[in-house]
Amino acid sequence: MKKLTAIFVAILILMTLMPMSALAGEAVKLTMGSWRSDDTTQVQALLDEYKEMTGVEITFAPTVPAQYNATLRLQLDNGTGPDLMYSRTFATSKELYDAGFLMDISDIPALAENFTPASLEAFQADDGAIYAVPYAAVSQIVYYNKAIFSENDLEVPATFEDLLKIGQTLKDKGVEPFANGIASNWDILECVFLGMLPNYVGGAANRALYETGEKKMNDEAFVKALSDFAALSKFLPEGFEAINNEDGPAMFGIGRAAMFIDGSWTVGMFDDYPDLELGVFAIPAPEGNEPGLCFHSDMGMAGNTATKHPEEVKDFLAWFASAEGAQEAANLLPGGFYPMINLPLTLSGEMAQSILALNEGKELDFRFIWKDFMDMYTIMVDNLNAIARGETTPEAAAEAFAAAQEEILAAKK
Amino acid sequence: MQPSLRHRKTSLNPGGGYWIWYLLPAILMYSIFMAYPMLDSIRLSLYAGTTGSREYIGTANYVRLFTDPVVSARFWGAFKNTWVFFAFHMLVQNVLGMLFAVILTNRTMRGRQFYQTIIFIPCTIAVMVSGYLFRLLLNPQFAGPTLRSMGLNALVHPWLGDPKSALSVVSLVSVWQWVGIPTMMFVAGLQSVSEDLLEAADIEGCNSWQTFRHIRLPLIMPVIGMIAILTFVSNFNAFDIVYAMTGPNGPPNYSTDLIGSLFYRYGVAGEHPIGIPEPGVGAAIATSVFVMLLIGVLPTLKATQGKE
Repeated sequence: MKKLTAIFVAILILMTLMPMSALAGEAVKLTMGSWRSDDTTQVQALLDEYKEMTGVEITFAPTVPAQYNATLRLQLDNGTGPDLMYSRTFATSKELYDAGFLMDISDIPALAENFTPASLEAFQADDGAIYAVPYAAVSQIVYYNKAIFSENDLEVPATFEDLLKIGQTLKDKGVEPFANGIASNWDILECVFLGMLPNYVGGAANRALYETGEKKMNDEAFVKALSDFAALSKFLPEGFEAINNEDGPAMFGIGRAAMFIDGSWTVGMFDDYPDLELGVFAIPAPEGNEPGLCFHSDMGMAGNTATKHPEEVKDFLAWFASAEGAQEAANLLPGGFYPMINLPLTLSGEMAQSILALNEGKELDFRFIWKDFMDMYTIMVDNLNAIARGETTPEAAAEAFAAAQEEILAAKK
Repeated sequence: MQPSLRHRKTSLNPGGGYWIWYLLPAILMYSIFMAYPMLDSIRLSLYAGTTGSREYIGTANYVRLFTDPVVSARFWGAFKNTWVFFAFHMLVQNVLGMLFAVILTNRTMRGRQFYQTIIFIPCTIAVMVSGYLFRLLLNPQFAGPTLRSMGLNALVHPWLGDPKSALSVVSLVSVWQWVGIPTMMFVAGLQSVSEDLLEAADIEGCNSWQTFRHIRLPLIMPVIGMIAILTFVSNFNAFDIVYAMTGPNGPPNYSTDLIGSLFYRYGVAGEHPIGIPEPGVGAAIATSVFVMLLIGVLPTLKATQGKE
């Protein structure tokens, strides 16, 4: 018995000593939190390269996307947060900065040199401090099946009216026009409606007018956008009420539907369908409107204020914001994520490049509600679902939007 | 003065009150792992923020839960849905379980083992797996062509996308999965009914319904009571099947939102897209439900315990 106890104590002592002896070594070890669990190999390769350059070892420790925000918050609250972390944009990350978890990195000179103010806006606190290096943006576009289009003598639509015509033609022939559903409760808003919106309300300058209250969300532009959404929703597939954002790509991938409106981040998923002849086009503007496109700031890189190695963390962020670091990071971005750095970078992936090319000549803006109207999210999703089900009208939905807008603006004052 | 038996000092009870040492392990385990977390979650419901930045806000979480039009609508919606979900299990699962058990214990029944295994197999499948399979089976895009070729056009319907049918369908899938548990317990109960009694009833000329109603049923009443309590407890904790089949938002239109998913959304994961949880609100939901169930359960518990 005594022997056993002695062995047990010895093991305990060893266990407590081991991490200490590791700490005593000169190598600095950092961790990086992320929701991009799909990219583990690529990111770890970049971090290994960084280790060779600087001797700082960084371990990539991602969480599943749906739980990232909650997990990260819990880790930060308990002081076990990663030293470096992928940062969401706007309200989600601003909340973390305001709670004191994210480093103020405004003094990294490369930030002002290499990024546009619009890119930095997504990671900017109310006092103007920047708390993350902008990393990647995504866009919301229409994927289409080239084979189905050519079989039915269809061409890429120039206007929204053309898109509706294509929908009708396909439906008449018994082909499902779109693979989008409403069961996930987010993509119908984030990809479809907010993807359409820049075609109706214009870019950042016009968005600001809604944010000050000068324009109301029941104006002509919004009602038109909602009526066009209602018209589009007639072409959602049978049983769209039960189709979620995992069913959609599968349906589209196996050729069960001709088009799929989704984010550029989905593009990699279609590699699994070798028979699919994939094409992309921007969600077209209605006749007479200037075309816009939702190019959304999606991720940044931030440092933890509670890190044991603030110097090394900041050095990494500075490297990440530099031309050299950004190119390295851009190389490993998965298809459909676009570097936000304001420098000409080479991008891999043909399809990803053609999605990015859709930006040309269009007014770009991030998702309309992301900056000031995040509290409208549920109201918008609920109303869009109701329109698709035929339970409400575009006009009534616009009134509900305007009422919510007014409430948010009143609360701000 | 002669000390009372309880306080007498013997070699087994040197200090008088030595008994406490026998209870201590259980009391410690219970207090650390059951009582403390529960009391602490009640305390948590009076705070805002999370670990790092917790702030006492009194009953504000409760006020919000019951007066904020959106939050209270969600809460009562989820509360109602949970009762419906429970009712399905109580009425469909347990009645079916009883029916299966009676059939399986019939003396003339052949292939009992085989049927028993079939009924029990779903219980061994992970809920995420069965939920996902049923999600595909119930979706017109995936199951539609097969159903149509079989002439079952009426079954092609977005069952999980229709607010009218979603909750019933989710409940029935859960019933399908778990019906094996009450079946097995009823089988065990029915088998323990003495053959002598059944034989006597036979000789007295009872038909099989009379035997069941007046002999077997009263004798397995304790099992029924236990099943009822188990059903109640497990269904008010239900979360996994909804998460697997429709997602944590309880779509469509919150019609499959249960207390479990509501709690997860507010207290653990945070609401999409910001996804920052409010443990205080989550704890307020849990505490409110706890109090409400306590009010409902206490009289029942008293009544059933008095019988023994």
